[in-house]
Amino acid sequence: MSTTADLEKDPFYLRYYTGHQGMHGHEFLEFEYSHGRIRYANNSNYRNDSLIRKEMFVGPAVVEELKRIVRESEITKEDDVAWPKKNVVGKQELEVRIDKEHISFETAKIGSLADVNESSDAEGLRVFYYLVQDLKCFIFSLITLHFKIKPIQQ
Amino acid sequence: MADVDMAGEVNGAGHSWAAKSVEGWIIIVTGLNEETTEEDLQDLFGDYGEVKNLSMALNRRTGYVMGYALIEFPEKEQAEKAVKGTDGTTFLEKTIKTDFAFSKAPSGARSRAPASGARRTGRDREASPGRR
Repeated sequence: MSTTADLEKDPFYLRYYTGHQGMHGHEFLEFEYSHGRIRYANNSNYRNDSLIRKEMFVGPAVVEELKRIVRESEITKEDDVAWPKKNVVGKQELEVRIDKEHISFETAKIGSLADVNESSDAEGLRVFYYLVQDLKCFIFSLITLHFKIKPIQQ
Repeated sequence: MADVDMAGEVNGAGHSWAAKSVEGWIIIVTGLNEETTEEDLQDLFGDYGEVKNLSMALNRRTGYVMGYALIEFPEKEQAEKAVKGTDGTTFLEKTIKTDFAFSKAPSGARSRAPASGARRTGRDREASPGRR
């Protein structure tokens, strides 16, 4: 078990972004972990919702679980070269630095598993798709409990 | 090793790094058996105080328990007792780990810095610097 001070030295990094430019402006959702801190930003202009920015510091147990989820997904073995390119509907980005591996993926928004199955790299895209869902679920649970706000699902 | 904070006091001397959430104290339990139910966790943690919130995630791919749950207690002392009483114990044939989920900001932390300050990748987004 590491201490909170160790988290400041740990190079583990994770960032996820999903968003698009549209009739409501730049609408996006983003979260980022680095050095013990999770930052979260959500901008939805629909019905005049405004930008929400939150940050929270987490303990070693949360970080270890975050790492476990990333490791068990084996996302760092994938490559985004054959994934759908970003388009007018928007894009997703996932950047992870873990265990001396560094990935920075970009792809289109994925509406459903049908989109995944149509890809020429369905297996890899499926890893990405489920990892993103599991990460969102974890981060949103933390935000909901810590701040008592409901993040907007995009 | 977190030996300083792991001494196990339940009077507030331990876990001095833990941070309170808006309505209570959140702990995280990991290493759960994949067939754990929320009722199982309610039974386990209800012994330490009123469980105000319990959130256990399912693996989106398998439908089984992801392995972690977040539990909220109103009082720090209850959360601390729950951590002390369950961390490293066997629950449903699995060794579980329990700890406080949230931490206070380290003293050197820049607070409310615009997100663009920490970017490692160059992107042309984030048009609202400094907004709360």
